[in-house]
Amino acid sequence: MSIKVKFYSLFRINLKSAGTEFEVEQPVVISQIIKWLDEGYEGYFSKKLLDKNEIRPGSIILVNGKNVLHLNHLQTRVNDGDTVTLFPPSAGG
Amino acid sequence: MDIFQRQKPLFSKSESDKLRQMCVLIAGAGGLGTHQAQQLQRIGVKKIYLYDFDTIEPGNLNRQIFYGRNDLGKSKSEVAGQRLKEFNLETEIEVINERIEVDLKLPGEIDLIFDALDNFPARFKLEEIAWRESIPLIHGGVEGWFGQLTTIIAGKTMKLVDIFAGGQKETKAAVFSPVVSTIASMQVLEGVKVYLDKNPQLLNKIMSVDLFNNQIDLIDLKN
Repeated sequence: MSIKVKFYSLFRINLKSAGTEFEVEQPVVISQIIKWLDEGYEGYFSKKLLDKNEIRPGSIILVNGKNVLHLNHLQTRVNDGDTVTLFPPSAGG
Repeated sequence: MDIFQRQKPLFSKSESDKLRQMCVLIAGAGGLGTHQAQQLQRIGVKKIYLYDFDTIEPGNLNRQIFYGRNDLGKSKSEVAGQRLKEFNLETEIEVINERIEVDLKLPGEIDLIFDALDNFPARFKLEEIAWRESIPLIHGGVEGWFGQLTTIIAGKTMKLVDIFAGGQKETKAAVFSPVVSTIASMQVLEGVKVYLDKNPQLLNKIMSVDLFNNQIDLIDLKN
């Protein structure tokens, strides 16, 4: 088992990757996942997702389909088997 | 000759009859809304209520298909209404020059609401109305080469505000006509399927559309 992280839209194009997986032995928090992602993608995700240690407006982080702003923000726990979805939603019309 | 003859094979008689009774609200007569309105009129729904409070600006003309240079400064709802009525087709058109606010009083006969807005805070207000009135809402948003859709139904799905909280950027979205028209078409398709209960796809799912790589993904919102 592992934590799946999926990238969509601009993130996927910029990184030429649809996502990654992390093997974990115990639950971790979202901020730790962003740190791990930064190691693999040259700091990309803290630039895109964070602003002064908060989640940057215009980026969405879902854990099993739920927005972490409605959970525990960057301290939201992620367990083995969970899916983290990262995407910049399209706002225009 | 029946003008709907060419689409008849797609639907049973009762489905075709039901489509002719369908009343929709389109929230916004911009990029998404003008395309949606044109298609819903061609499908032959009974009535379109088209809401917009804004006036036509040069920056609208790259994608908002009812307007041209001669319309600059005019009311969007008024010009959109004129265009649709000029086609002289079956659908009744009612335009309302009003901003969508939470306390908006809806006409009693609306079956479906189409999101054609351009920012998340306004969408959250529209969703409050849809949720209160128990009317399905077909969300769509566009930006650059991308878009996403989902269907919101009170009591059955998550809410837009649950999914997209924090989704609003400070800058205006880049918008490009072929992407806008594609997402608007997909919203109309999903709306017809929801209304007819004919294989709707997007309850508790986001359809993420990448038109740069021609890729469509479904993101599950409930595990």
